[in-house]
Amino acid sequence: MKRFLETGNFAIAEGAILAGCRFFGGYPITPATEIAEAMSFRLPQVGGVYLQAEDECAAMHLCIGASLGGMKAMTATSGPGYILYADPYGWAIGCEMPMVVLNSGRVGPVSGITGAPGQGEIYMMRYPTQGGNYEAICLAPNSAQEAMAMVVEAFYLSERFRMPVSVLADQLITDGFEDISVPENEEEMKEMGFRTWPRKHCTGPEFYPFTDELDIPPVQMGKGTGGLCSDWTPTVEGYDIEEVENHHQHAYRLIYKVRNHQDLFNHHYEKKYMDDDPDLVVVSFGTPSRVVNTAVEKARSQGLKVGSLRLITLWPFPDEHFTKSTKYLSVELNWDGQLVREIQRATPKGSDVHFMGTCGDLPTISDLIETFEKVINDQPLERKGWVLEAW
Amino acid sequence: MAFQSSVISEKYLRSRKIPSTACSGCGLGQNHKLVIQAIDELGLAVNDIVWGTSIGCAGRQTFATWKGDGFAGTHGRAYAIARGLRIAMPLDKKILLTVGDGDAFGIGLMHLIHAARCNTDMTVIVNDNLGYQSTGGQFGYTTPQGAKTDSSPYGMFEHNLMSDGMDVMHILKGAGATFLARHVAMDGVRAVESIKKAIENPGFSLVHMPYPCPTNFGARELGSRVPVNALRYIMERTAPMGQENENTVWATGIWHDTSGSRPEFAEHIWASVNKIRKTGEL
Repeated sequence: MKRFLETGNFAIAEGAILAGCRFFGGYPITPATEIAEAMSFRLPQVGGVYLQAEDECAAMHLCIGASLGGMKAMTATSGPGYILYADPYGWAIGCEMPMVVLNSGRVGPVSGITGAPGQGEIYMMRYPTQGGNYEAICLAPNSAQEAMAMVVEAFYLSERFRMPVSVLADQLITDGFEDISVPENEEEMKEMGFRTWPRKHCTGPEFYPFTDELDIPPVQMGKGTGGLCSDWTPTVEGYDIEEVENHHQHAYRLIYKVRNHQDLFNHHYEKKYMDDDPDLVVVSFGTPSRVVNTAVEKARSQGLKVGSLRLITLWPFPDEHFTKSTKYLSVELNWDGQLVREIQRATPKGSDVHFMGTCGDLPTISDLIETFEKVINDQPLERKGWVLEAW
Repeated sequence: MAFQSSVISEKYLRSRKIPSTACSGCGLGQNHKLVIQAIDELGLAVNDIVWGTSIGCAGRQTFATWKGDGFAGTHGRAYAIARGLRIAMPLDKKILLTVGDGDAFGIGLMHLIHAARCNTDMTVIVNDNLGYQSTGGQFGYTTPQGAKTDSSPYGMFEHNLMSDGMDVMHILKGAGATFLARHVAMDGVRAVESIKKAIENPGFSLVHMPYPCPTNFGARELGSRVPVNALRYIMERTAPMGQENENTVWATGIWHDTSGSRPEFAEHIWASVNKIRKTGEL
């Protein structure tokens, strides 16, 4: 085990290499640039290739090409780049091409504030491309160390599910310096709970079996398998077809291979003070969850019966944590309230769901505790002159 | 040389997709046949080539026709996919892309330029039906000036990549392409010879191949869907390089050939990576 005082970007690059990533399609963007920089330095050392693309859309298409050729591939960006992934992301979902995509959230919309954290892409991580008829997987770490772990996990899931997997970080995770431990061998990786899965290639002639099965190797080009893959609805052999029946079968696979195997990743969450039926469950993910955890601990010492639920598996949304009818508060790094909508959907009727937003800056512990008190005492939430009680 | 289309078709193409569902009188099949003929004359096997396509008439009609490995990218992105693929797949395999004019010279032009910049070993056959025909017939970036299409009902008056003395080939040459040629679908043996050179070039090659679309281009610009009218439209505007006249839009022949003059993309990348891996520096 090697210890570093380094950024999340460094940890993410090391995680990718540990997971067997040997191709990175990069495009500079704050605050994810250092991932590209680290990969351009590290990949040649381990026999991998870093390419700098003409834009993010090309960056992910380069990954598609590399993955089609049999390499584990990754790309990383921030919100303004993530929207350019929409095109290749759809292709990778439809053609079931494994790769890992990291989004370090900053303040939006558009370029917004480049050097400040935001969580404005919660739904975009669920719908990274158009057309529907798929489930997306997204993991959201809250530290540099966990970002490394989740990148390794994302590679594992992407190979097994045969699809792109997203990791949602934010500017504080990727830019922040933290104490990072990097395992040096497989044994140490196992000790740290890192799982890996090797790349294999599909020999056909069925390239898209319309079942929910996992562990089907992806189509590969250049091996003489006669593999076919396209952006159109496929037959099992990969021919393009305009038949609703084929589309139905393909959509079933894209949706249910994920829905029917959520047990593979739904253990990624953190609960604090949740064992005694708290009066208020505070839900968060990413960097704000670290402040929330501290605030909940402090609130407990002040006699407030609050608990913290931190989501790591963000998509598919872990409905199983929201079976109890109680008060919920969603703490997010956006002003419009995104996660809160999903909590409203997932919670039973009669639940009382509230929202507290900040953006570009973390909530303070005192603000959080004040909000906990207000929610518990049924007082209206008002912050910076905005009435948020609409939630 | 004789066109033994049924023999080479059986050798290289999938019976499920040939004949294609292209319109009657469409020139795409001729372009396709010229490419297959060139592959056959080079003595290449099915597994020597990975065949990529994209969106539109040219992409959809040629996807999965090749007996070997085949992929279709989203609109305009096949060049970026091919660049990544070139890194990952065996270096002795060739990538051949059959795409349309909207794909290559419109939505995908930036990716195309960057594939040329790197001198990526791929052969891009741009099947140019003078616009966006699978969407009903709108003008593209090589549509002749004045042509009436669904999106240029008064005649195409927007400047494009083939108007005012411009030629899209200049862009590609400037970007670093090492082989560029232009042939129309009716060029026969001359086209086959150029395509062979394009495939043999260990670097970025592009062959621009205008072909007649009697269905949409014919109906709007020529007022008829009779295939011979669309053929004639192209023939009248085509001349071999050096024999151009005032009507010439497409001068055919090898436009630029510096085959082998620049290091190939993937070979260069891998040589560099291997050196860094061994010595820690370039």
